[in-house]
Amino acid sequence: MPIIIISADARETEEGIAEKVAEAMGYTLLSPEIMAEIGTKNHLDPEQLCNELEATPHLFQKLLSCQWRHDLACIEGEVLERMLADNIVCQGLCAHLYVLGVSHAMKVRILSGDDRAAANQGLLEKTKRDRVVQCRQRKKWSMAAYGNDETDLSRYDLVINLGQIDPDEAVKTITHAAAFRKFQVMTYSIKCLANLALSARVTAVLLETMSDIRVESNDGSVVIFGKASNRNKLSKITKIKELAGKVKGVNFVEVHVKRNINPIS
Amino acid sequence: MSIITISRGSYSMGKAVAEQVAKKLNFDLSSRDILLDASRKYNVPEIKLINAIRDPPKIIERYSHNKQSYIAYIQSALVERVLNDNIVYHGLAGHLLLRGIPHVLKVRITENLDDRVRNRVSLDKITAEEARVLTLKDDQQRRKWTMFLFGEDPWNSALYDLTISIDRLSIDDAVDFICQASRSRALQTTEAGQQQLLDLAVACRVKAALVDDFPTLNVTCEYGNVLVYPRGKDTASKKLLKKLDQIRKDISGINHLETHSGVKTPEKAV
Repeated sequence: MPIIIISADARETEEGIAEKVAEAMGYTLLSPEIMAEIGTKNHLDPEQLCNELEATPHLFQKLLSCQWRHDLACIEGEVLERMLADNIVCQGLCAHLYVLGVSHAMKVRILSGDDRAAANQGLLEKTKRDRVVQCRQRKKWSMAAYGNDETDLSRYDLVINLGQIDPDEAVKTITHAAAFRKFQVMTYSIKCLANLALSARVTAVLLETMSDIRVESNDGSVVIFGKASNRNKLSKITKIKELAGKVKGVNFVEVHVKRNINPIS
Repeated sequence: MSIITISRGSYSMGKAVAEQVAKKLNFDLSSRDILLDASRKYNVPEIKLINAIRDPPKIIERYSHNKQSYIAYIQSALVERVLNDNIVYHGLAGHLLLRGIPHVLKVRITENLDDRVRNRVSLDKITAEEARVLTLKDDQQRRKWTMFLFGEDPWNSALYDLTISIDRLSIDDAVDFICQASRSRALQTTEAGQQQLLDLAVACRVKAALVDDFPTLNVTCEYGNVLVYPRGKDTASKKLLKKLDQIRKDISGINHLETHSGVKTPEKAV
């Protein structure tokens, strides 16, 4: 059965809809609650991990940026690993930005619409303003982290605006869509997901000690693109091969070290 | 039941979706025929209306206000047409021209650029490169047009109730989604919703009658009580008062008509 990835312009909306969809379909809900486990596994602070999904490092905080990318890769690896179990509803983990090319992953965006309660209290303008600011921040974050604009509607299979459509109706629409043939699990789509998970695991391991890494994998074969000066090239290749080779599921490692690469995979 | 507007990028299969939705729900289907209605009623060549709703304004047009007149005519024709309810409109700008009406389901169909280019190549028998350039140009024009007239980006998903990507979904799936959403309780026609639509129709009639001479004024209507918001030198114009007297006699559905000058125009004004 498909993986349903829910993203929204407001956290409460995202949580509410995801919980309802998971309950209606009897699926497992993957939420930021897994941060504690990710933290324990990777010796990281869970609160810090939650923060990484929201805050973009400042332009001049180069060192922080390395740690940030490493933390994101740890989250990504764990989420993708869990998604392999199937029958998953995922929210609050930005999976819509890194689960790419997996045909059984349905991406849904929920827009909160005009908050009626806020309108009644005369707070509508303020709510709208806050949402615009929030939206701008999310756009900036998603561009910095994955080179994709989270607010671009063409990224999603379905966008539902709760301004007019009742949340329960939205849940019904999502569960109905999940049954479509195009979202059914196929051997190939599982393979794509496994490849993404392996890439994320290798990235996380490499980013512990180095920066500017891009990883692609296919069936256990991993191609790593790194950046180094000519003088350090050989030592870097050896180091990458050694570290990546230790990751579970890696059968073969190919390394390309260049002077300049695109770090966003 | 309700009104469904389907907006789409060029060659995004939105027309096919609209036709099937109308068939499945047994609704009327409308698109360019709105332009014919407007052309007939306001005695404007259809080509001018097509250009007004398709092309972004040229520099000279920004000062001549012709586009505003044509848009007012088209909006009036569209609102008259949807008054009877149970209609699918897949022409341009439906979601913007019917803003504020609660029982309008605003749908956006998206498809990735490569597929749109492929559709264009097969339909127009042109090369892929030409198709790509033309499709991108279309998108840019649409964006400019909407930004100029409504201050909104057509790619802003907040303008729509439902956005469906048919890259991975089929036309049938999209039709299913739309039909299901149209059954939503909030989108059913209510007495209040129908009254809002009637009021919008009256406001549009008044605006269409005035727009040629007073392109910058705005109009609202509530339960047949029409408020006209003139700007600048129009405020004290005798011509406006004369015209309003005429409108009171000619246009049906008006209980009371007055001008409000020097106050902020409400957002819902046309």
